[in-house]
Amino acid sequence: MASHTVIDELKRTQILELLEQGKRVDGRALDEPREITIETNAIPKANGSARVHIGDTEVICGVKIQPDRPFPDTGDKGLFICTAELLPLSHPTVETGPPQPHVIELARVVDRGIRESHMIDVSQLVIKKDKSVIGVFADNVVVDYDGNLFDACSYAATAALLTSKTPKWDWVDDKPTLVEGEDSQLPISTIPVSVTMGKIGNHIVVDPNGDEWDIMDARVTITTDSDGNICALQKGGFDGFTQDEIIQCGETSVRVGAKIREKLKAVQQGGQ
Amino acid sequence: MGGRDATMVLLDENGIRCDGRKIDEPRRIMIKAGGLKNADGSAYIEFGDNKILVGVFGPRDVHPKHMSNTDTGILRVRYHMEPFSVTERKNPAPSRREIEISKVIKEALEPAVMLEKFPRTAVDVFIEVLQADGGTRCAALTAASVALADAGIPMRDMVAAIAAGKVADTIVLDVNNEEDQAGQADMPIGYMPSLKKITLLQLDGILTPEEYKKCVSVGVEGCKIVYELQKKALHNKYFGNRDD
Amino acid sequence: MDNKRKYVIPGDLVTTGPFRPEQNVILEGNKIISTTIGISEIYDDSVKVIPLTGKYLPKIDDLVIGKVISHTSLSWELDINSCYVGFLPAQDVFGRDFSAHADELTSKLKVGDLVAARIANFDRTRDPLVTISDRDLGKIDSGALVKISPSKVPRLIGKRGTMIQTIEMATNAAITIGQNGWVVVSCESPEGLLKAKKAIQMVNEKAHVANLTDQVKEMLESKGES
Repeated sequence: MASHTVIDELKRTQILELLEQGKRVDGRALDEPREITIETNAIPKANGSARVHIGDTEVICGVKIQPDRPFPDTGDKGLFICTAELLPLSHPTVETGPPQPHVIELARVVDRGIRESHMIDVSQLVIKKDKSVIGVFADNVVVDYDGNLFDACSYAATAALLTSKTPKWDWVDDKPTLVEGEDSQLPISTIPVSVTMGKIGNHIVVDPNGDEWDIMDARVTITTDSDGNICALQKGGFDGFTQDEIIQCGETSVRVGAKIREKLKAVQQGGQ
Repeated sequence: MGGRDATMVLLDENGIRCDGRKIDEPRRIMIKAGGLKNADGSAYIEFGDNKILVGVFGPRDVHPKHMSNTDTGILRVRYHMEPFSVTERKNPAPSRREIEISKVIKEALEPAVMLEKFPRTAVDVFIEVLQADGGTRCAALTAASVALADAGIPMRDMVAAIAAGKVADTIVLDVNNEEDQAGQADMPIGYMPSLKKITLLQLDGILTPEEYKKCVSVGVEGCKIVYELQKKALHNKYFGNRDD
Repeated sequence: MDNKRKYVIPGDLVTTGPFRPEQNVILEGNKIISTTIGISEIYDDSVKVIPLTGKYLPKIDDLVIGKVISHTSLSWELDINSCYVGFLPAQDVFGRDFSAHADELTSKLKVGDLVAARIANFDRTRDPLVTISDRDLGKIDSGALVKISPSKVPRLIGKRGTMIQTIEMATNAAITIGQNGWVVVSCESPEGLLKAKKAIQMVNEKAHVANLTDQVKEMLESKGES
């Protein structure tokens, strides 16, 4: 994502000079995310869906729920799989073909944040132990790129899952059989929220936009759950964080994440 | 023709179809020109329950270099369905169907685009099907043509597309998903309305020579309806509703 | 706008008859058809369409704003917002006695630098050759880059430069317009910079509007929020 873009030096200088004064190019405070809009049921044919804008970054997530075979060692648990793909129309540098390492990282970080929070109680997604379980697939596609895909995909997947309706299947004649008219919410136990921070020089900014993303030295994505605990984390980039910085980032992620969680809660209530 | 539902009436005695349309009536079509920030040109179409997004880049450098042509620019088209766009989750890897449709759409656009002025470059058309409901290739081609115009790619004409078909022994316009499953023939048509040329044509099903003739003419008339909506979408974006 | 001007899209009939097709139109039989979205203009014996969208196609002698995107030991590559990459040979900057061994290209221009350049040579067979060795050309050290559609550049300049002069005078900004749609704005005051950028974006979005100069003036003269 934008791995080949070259930011112009005037813009880089401007970003750095403003940061020295504690300001950002788009007028935000250092710990302020861009405006987040969440539209659910964007894809009515999916079991759940959401279209999320963070500034000019746009992601669509569609959730498909269908019977599947369990993993051999976890026959008493349903499946949850979250993917992410950068559509080639999202940015001129995106190439078609097998996913690049940074896209695979994106998908795995988003998946891990939701999985490790135990947002979905997969033990309730069993049709017939060891034989058939419910699989929940949350597929993110990036439609427009302007930095911070980690959070955009994470919020899209979370919003789509919060508003998903799962059909009911019974085990009849040795196969899962759909029970009409028994749709229900997914078993949700918490709302994970990721907050991505970029380090530019000695400054740490929440939700870096595309230009900030291009020039940042390091980044960290921290996911917290509804109890305010930290449940997943990923550091990236070619510089390091001091211990103090990383502690600070943890606190920021809890504080900023709590506000964003309110938005997601409203989405959940609107979808019920 | 699997999945025939004995209780579904495809065409009632008043000539009304299973979704309430008349035989020569297309589904609801909404086209928007532009919308994507990073693409050079873009369009979004809702065609019945189809939802398709198209982004165009170029003319631009060709990678890999060996694909470039020193005499002209080249057109590349990728038709792609999202995993959540169909009833059963689709494997994200490109299927044979998607590859064929990409090629058919590319060849439907090629007669319109003029890339001679841009040797050694490529124009990339990326089609993303967000929700599929029968007739995606026609909707995609229609939107791709709008996105190409939005990108300022020189074109001899627009390309508008819609399917005609045979349902309950009657030739109808814009076959929907149920009709396609249970119907007798489906014929997607792409058409350049000013130059009066058919640039996409396929057929699944059996037609008599008379029905074939009727089907083509119903399809071409349908393309003219679609063309007016393409025109409106571009006028809305570029001339702010002010028609001359 | 006189009745000879029409809003057109690709495939639209502009006129019929014995006219010479100029830019963005083709002749089909005796019909003159537009090949792009734009405004058609019919002259005594010729027809053209002024485009409202499209990429920059280099023309010799055009002033462009370029961004250095890579370099070898012999040349730089510039993004000039075009279908082609601009080629800037090291000799153009170091002079005739440039030595690939002794001279380090990054000492003059590095990736990300913006330059004002001129198209020195361009034809179908090779990428455009650019030069920065002239007065008013070279590396740009200050200001902000604004991107507009290359097709809107004539509108931003205006008839005999009226539009750009209007903006410069009202904001005290210095504006360098590249024919490729990249515009560098520098201004002492942040408010002036903001207003100039806003005016340029306004031209970009409303290029087809007839009384645009008045609308821009009105915006520039308005006080407070910008």
